[in-house]
Amino acid sequence: MSYLIIGASSGLGRALAEKFAKEKKNLIIVSRDERDLTALKADIEIKYNVKVEKIPLDFSSFNEINQKLLKEKMFQNLSGILFPVGFMHEKDNFDISEEDLKKLTFTNYLSIVHTINYARKCLNKQKLSIVGFGSVSGLIGRNLNMNYAAAKRSLESFFESMSFDEKLKDMNIQFYTLGYLDTNLAFGKDLILPKGSTQKLAKIVYQNINVNLKKTFYPYFWNIIAVFLKLLPFLFLIKLYKILIK
Amino acid sequence: MELNNTEKKEICSFDKNIVRNILVAKPDKYKLLETISHRNREIINTGSSLSYSPLSFGEDIICLDFKKFNRILDFNKNEKTITVEAGITLIQFLNFTLKHNFWIPQLPGYPSITLGGAIATNAHGKSCSTHGTIRNSIKSILLFHKINGWMNLSEKENKEIFDLTIGGLGLTGTIVKITFNLTNIENTLFITKKKKIKSVEECNKVISNYNNSSYFYSWHKADNIKNFGEGIIFENIIDKKKIIDFKGFKDKNYKLKPFLFPVWNKLSIKLCNLLYLYLNRLSTEEKTESFLKVIFPFYSKESYFNFFGNNGFTESQLLISESKINDFMSEFKNIFKIHKPTITLFSLKKMSGEQSYLRFEDNKVCLTFDLIKNNSSNNFMNEIDNLCLKYQILPSIIKDSRIPKNIFDKTYRYANDFREKLNKFDKKRVYKSEVSKRLEL
Ligand SMILES: Cc1cc2nc3c(=O)[nH]c(=O)nc-3n(C[C@H](O)[C@H](O)[C@H](O)COP(=O)(O)OP(=O)(O)OC[C@H]3O[C@@H](n4cnc5c(N)ncnc54)[C@H](O)[C@@H]3O)c2cc1C
Repeated sequence: MSYLIIGASSGLGRALAEKFAKEKKNLIIVSRDERDLTALKADIEIKYNVKVEKIPLDFSSFNEINQKLLKEKMFQNLSGILFPVGFMHEKDNFDISEEDLKKLTFTNYLSIVHTINYARKCLNKQKLSIVGFGSVSGLIGRNLNMNYAAAKRSLESFFESMSFDEKLKDMNIQFYTLGYLDTNLAFGKDLILPKGSTQKLAKIVYQNINVNLKKTFYPYFWNIIAVFLKLLPFLFLIKLYKILIK
Repeated sequence: MELNNTEKKEICSFDKNIVRNILVAKPDKYKLLETISHRNREIINTGSSLSYSPLSFGEDIICLDFKKFNRILDFNKNEKTITVEAGITLIQFLNFTLKHNFWIPQLPGYPSITLGGAIATNAHGKSCSTHGTIRNSIKSILLFHKINGWMNLSEKENKEIFDLTIGGLGLTGTIVKITFNLTNIENTLFITKKKKIKSVEECNKVISNYNNSSYFYSWHKADNIKNFGEGIIFENIIDKKKIIDFKGFKDKNYKLKPFLFPVWNKLSIKLCNLLYLYLNRLSTEEKTESFLKVIFPFYSKESYFNFFGNNGFTESQLLISESKINDFMSEFKNIFKIHKPTITLFSLKKMSGEQSYLRFEDNKVCLTFDLIKNNSSNNFMNEIDNLCLKYQILPSIIKDSRIPKNIFDKTYRYANDFREKLNKFDKKRVYKSEVSKRLEL
């Protein structure tokens, strides 16, 4: 049995791969650039003596996913699928190109749903953990990374919907809504709130991997902030934002 | 990820002499390394930024922090080789190799130094009289250069660039992967023997006869012209009897952060030196010491550096012919009497190798001393520069962030060779640092 990690080559994905390997779990790692996968596979296999299979593919392409990833036998031997995958774009606003919009929506939402739907069909008596990662950027509408935020909000909704699935007894569904982590996405950003540690999060994800239903924020203080943001009327937030900007 | 984030940061050389506001990029994927390199006109590679001189940053130059590239890519026990990414730190590297009773013996003296940084400075360890510099353990390198692309470097492939890269201060491009030839190490315990000596000259005489020993260095009191050089020679021998299982080192992340005010001054140094000397005289002549203590003597003793405060210090490391030590020392003491600098540390070891390009390497004695930075030490060091010319001494540009270009040009015989070959390889001279600009490399 193995764990499939989509977006394993850097940041949270790499931290998860390292943590699961340290706990002697075999892995299938997926990312776009084979060079990153080769390096990670070698490092993990040498250090932790586990088996790692690498699948280089572009996760924004259903074609590539269908051809290279969705293999019934492989999915029947999975203990879990983790989706620490994310794609952001410098010009993610109303003027985004059609191609980039597709890339954003597919990587952050549609391809994940597509993969989960396939995994659900392949379930073969094993208990499968499915772990998704959202973003606090999806809490309310925003003027930055708007399509990324929209995709992440859709993903959260999809994971919530999975909790109503009749197959839930065969699956563990976990969803972490993430604030800024110490990854390249947050590198160099002037942030008011502290960044979460990918390594700590990887530990938490590993500890919870067999929990049937889990939905939380990380870093944890976002649980409190999120409550406030949800309580306040959106129009009030917009006004507040405009005053602060001035 | 299509973002290309950079962080604005104030950075200073380890000796605190040069401070700059710079931009840092921290790639964590191969594609990002290429993208960042292509987007920026002037780049410099950065390891852990533990160089005494400003080798890994410069004004208006983007720093390419390579610490995320720290993986082990291949390990062949039979052939005794290992391939690693260049951002791996010494402690991460040793935590793997020592488990298999291997290491490379030319490791510089602090565990969070990266192997990329060690190669770019052609670093040496305590056993440099026997094992020379890190150059001797390198089998091959994978280099990425913004214009010349990906290149395999070894004695057989692109030898000229291989030679320029080892000790090339990161100016030939980014060292991405390195394959090392490993050396066996039987144990991670050492036996340390001590020998008292009266002067630097006596030390030179004694260590010139240490032909069977690999690890030895001396410590001298240099706070006063009276009894100048009184000290101890330490000899470390791998303990082959009391073999212990290697359990791994914990990276304790000790703080290298200057105190608000300097603690070191003439009086505090004098007291500490006295204490150190007498404690060493009182303790047993022979004792067992851990690997970390022997190989990384400043690990857990960071206060030594922090005590200089924000004002920093100057470190000078000089390679001197054995036959010239006595004459040099007599002039050294004369100018010491005149300028009265505060020397906080003074040490000697032997080195072996062949000097070329920018490499601090030769079959000579390596003399190291630290000074509190002030006018008298500046004047003192100006005179030391002149002694370097007089006695054909090689001063380290890695340790001394002050060395002027004219002294560098006269002491590094192959500097022009390096310049010419580097300019031929990289006509646009992409990789630059504060030091390379000062020395016009
Ligand atoms: C406490 C202490 C003890 C020391 N002891 C010794 C010793 O015993 N012997 C010795 O020889 N030195 C010693 N040094 C010096 C040290 O080994 C060098 O300065 C080393 O380069 C520091 O490595 P770094 O990872 O901090 O690199 P940085 O300081 O960040 O960079 C140093 C140089 O390496 C280049 N570089 C870094 N990574 C790469 C890369 N991937 N590709 C290309 N170029 C790269 C940089 O451009 C720069 O020119 C010591 C330093 C300290 C602070």
